Amino acid sequence: MVTTMKHEPVDVLIIGAGASGAAIAWSLLETRMRILCLEQGTHLPDADFPSRRPDYELARYGEFSCDPNIRQLAQDYPINVDDSCIAPVNWNGVGGSTINFLGHWPRMKPSDFRTRSLDGVAEDWPVDYATLEPFYAMNDRNTGVSGLSGNPAYPDYAPELPPIPLGQLGQTLAKGFNQLGWHWWPSDVAILSKDQDGRQKCVNAGTCDLGCAAGAKGGTNFTYWPMLERAGVELRTGSRVREILIDPATGMATGVLYHGADGQLHRQQAEMVILACNGIGTPRLLLNSDTERNPDGLANSSGMVGRNLMFHPLTGVSGVFDQPMKGHEGPMACSILSQEFYESDPSRDFVRGYGLHSGRSTTPMTFALGGYGIDRPIPWGAAHREIMDDIYPNIASLTVVAEDLPDQENRVTLDPDLTDSDGIPAPKISYRLGENTRRMLKHGEARAAEALRAAGAHTILSKNDDAVWWRAGWHQMGTCRMGNDPENSVVNGWGRSHDVKNLFIVDGSIFVTAGAVNPTSTIQALALYIGDRIKTNIATLFD
Amino acid sequence: MLTTRQTETLSLILNDVIPPSADGHVPGAGNAGVASFLQQATPYDPDPARVVLTVIETVLEIADDFSSQSPQDRIDVIIRVQAQHPQIFERFLRLTYMGYYSQAELRPLFGVAAEPVHPSGYPVPSESSRMMADLTAPVRARGAVYRPADG
Ligand SMILES: Cc1cc2nc3c(=O)[nH]c(=O)nc-3n(C[C@H](O)[C@H](O)[C@H](O)COP(=O)(O)OP(=O)(O)OC[C@H]3O[C@@H](n4cnc5c(N)ncnc54)[C@H](O)[C@@H]3O)c2cc1C
Ligand code: SF4
Repeated sequence: MVTTMKHEPVDVLIIGAGASGAAIAWSLLETRMRILCLEQGTHLPDADFPSRRPDYELARYGEFSCDPNIRQLAQDYPINVDDSCIAPVNWNGVGGSTINFLGHWPRMKPSDFRTRSLDGVAEDWPVDYATLEPFYAMNDRNTGVSGLSGNPAYPDYAPELPPIPLGQLGQTLAKGFNQLGWHWWPSDVAILSKDQDGRQKCVNAGTCDLGCAAGAKGGTNFTYWPMLERAGVELRTGSRVREILIDPATGMATGVLYHGADGQLHRQQAEMVILACNGIGTPRLLLNSDTERNPDGLANSSGMVGRNLMFHPLTGVSGVFDQPMKGHEGPMACSILSQEFYESDPSRDFVRGYGLHSGRSTTPMTFALGGYGIDRPIPWGAAHREIMDDIYPNIASLTVVAEDLPDQENRVTLDPDLTDSDGIPAPKISYRLGENTRRMLKHGEARAAEALRAAGAHTILSKNDDAVWWRAGWHQMGTCRMGNDPENSVVNGWGRSHDVKNLFIVDGSIFVTAGAVNPTSTIQALALYIGDRIKTNIATLFD
Repeated sequence: MLTTRQTETLSLILNDVIPPSADGHVPGAGNAGVASFLQQATPYDPDPARVVLTVIETVLEIADDFSSQSPQDRIDVIIRVQAQHPQIFERFLRLTYMGYYSQAELRPLFGVAAEPVHPSGYPVPSESSRMMADLTAPVRARGAVYRPADG
């Protein structure tokens, strides 16, 4: 291998310009260290988002699919999913997966960080909700969060902006939950309900997965990156890191080798390396950075790199109502969220719990193809006409979002044959649903049907026939988990590798458990917390 | 390139897969011109030409007189094609649905705007604070429902 280009060393090298990479860069700005971020993808101007095209829905199944195996863009890497019942999905570029994320923004709860102590499962986190609380708030301010204060499912906090409209669909479902006496609340969303900081408020277009052309959705392309670039953080796009380099004498990271936009191999030295490549990309890079001294991959003396992969397995139930639900109006994932069944209850046949999320923005094509995250076209022929004319407009759905428990056999490894366009070994996913999750989903399906009926649905349609949604590996967690015990975890309680003292991880791979909520507000709060710890410990950072 | 006979057969199949509404207000997939989408559907399927040809050829193998058959007989033929080539047929369905529902002028027939959704989007009024307070009152009345960190 020939290294052709060397660059000025930097103080901090962040790999990945997504949710977590942007947040940690912002946190470290005040240190005045020289910060460089290497990102394999590019900037995507919002003028290029497909929601400005007349055939916008098609993009969801082509170049703007959330599945990198379908998109196959230059910046993507393939993922072998033959041995998984859920396909991980993402976006590779400035903003990372916040380009196509849906902006649902619930926090994790106090009990999520203490599942071993409270429920005897998984492990406790080395941080807790109270510690992260100020960082959730800081991140919310930087992102722009809409919601309603006073949610009894959380310790008190107040979203800055008023909630986005519930709409016909949300109001109808809310009444159903009220009828049953169950918890629900307007969703917290990283979506602006009012114009702010030069960003336009949400126009209810419902194409959040196709990039938000209004700038209302709090992807880091709209939130952190403009601030960071103005402040002088260098963002080198089209730069795919191949390997983290280690000084064999000290065991410290010295920098990285990366493939640049010019097609050449580059060497970049750094005092500190921070990984923010997502729950699949980060273990992949560590496993690809094996050396004679670290034959099982870098930072992997515990053997935990790539293990304990958690998603949020999903299933959905729809109800058909007598009147139109206007499901295509409003942000896709977010209207209301019920956490009635979130916490453990000894009377159930599973531990931990799930959320019931209202789903919106069922546009005709996506609905006809089976729904978002599902590949199962609805029937053809006369039944097709009937479904599209009589059922589609009047439908409202609830998604059961289950907490996945860590299982060491659910993991990311390197595929022996598959590579990306630079010849770097691609990840392979091995993932099975646990029995606890299955029971949880079954319970959730029944409760969702009950809620829909209470809301007035005359017919219940189950979407899944006992299978979880396939293209719904939106949340990838646990594959480099944090912990106090170096034999059982990859990074310590503030994201520093137990093995390599100047290597940090800040993305969802450090999650110890998954909770049953979308993870990004927690991922970014953790990244800000880790940034804070780095600043506090700066004098003894690598001891 | 399809022959004239293949083109006619395809149009009939498409109209059977997504039939027009009884009043003719909503066109079937054949009349809506989905065939031309299928010709250029390479971003959405690894080999759309093979998918389309397999479906047409199998139909004609089963029923050489497909175009003169009664609607119910045609449906029966297509059901047999689906049974014979389930995977190909599912790909055909996917492509047909994509070609049909991506047509901007058809979307309003399903209540969705024809124009691109950005920048105009949809006007959805916010709930008044009074309405929100009323709706959430029963939830607030129950008090805290989360489990504290110490159980
Ligand atoms: C369709 C979809 C919907 C979602 N909806 C929600 C939601 O509603 N709410 C929510 O909380 N979360 C949602 N998520 C998840 C959310 O997007 C992720 O949790 C979040 O973006 C993860 O942040 P991250 O920093 O770990 O990774 P990412 O944001 O994915 O960023 C990782 C970055 O690293 C780069 N990278 C990887 N490897 C390399 C390498 N070797 N060299 C250089 N660069 C590299 C990638 O290109 C990418 O840009 C959704 C995700 C998807 C795909
Ligand atoms: S619905 Fe709102 S948040 Fe979603 S893409 Fe449209 S404007 Fe953006």
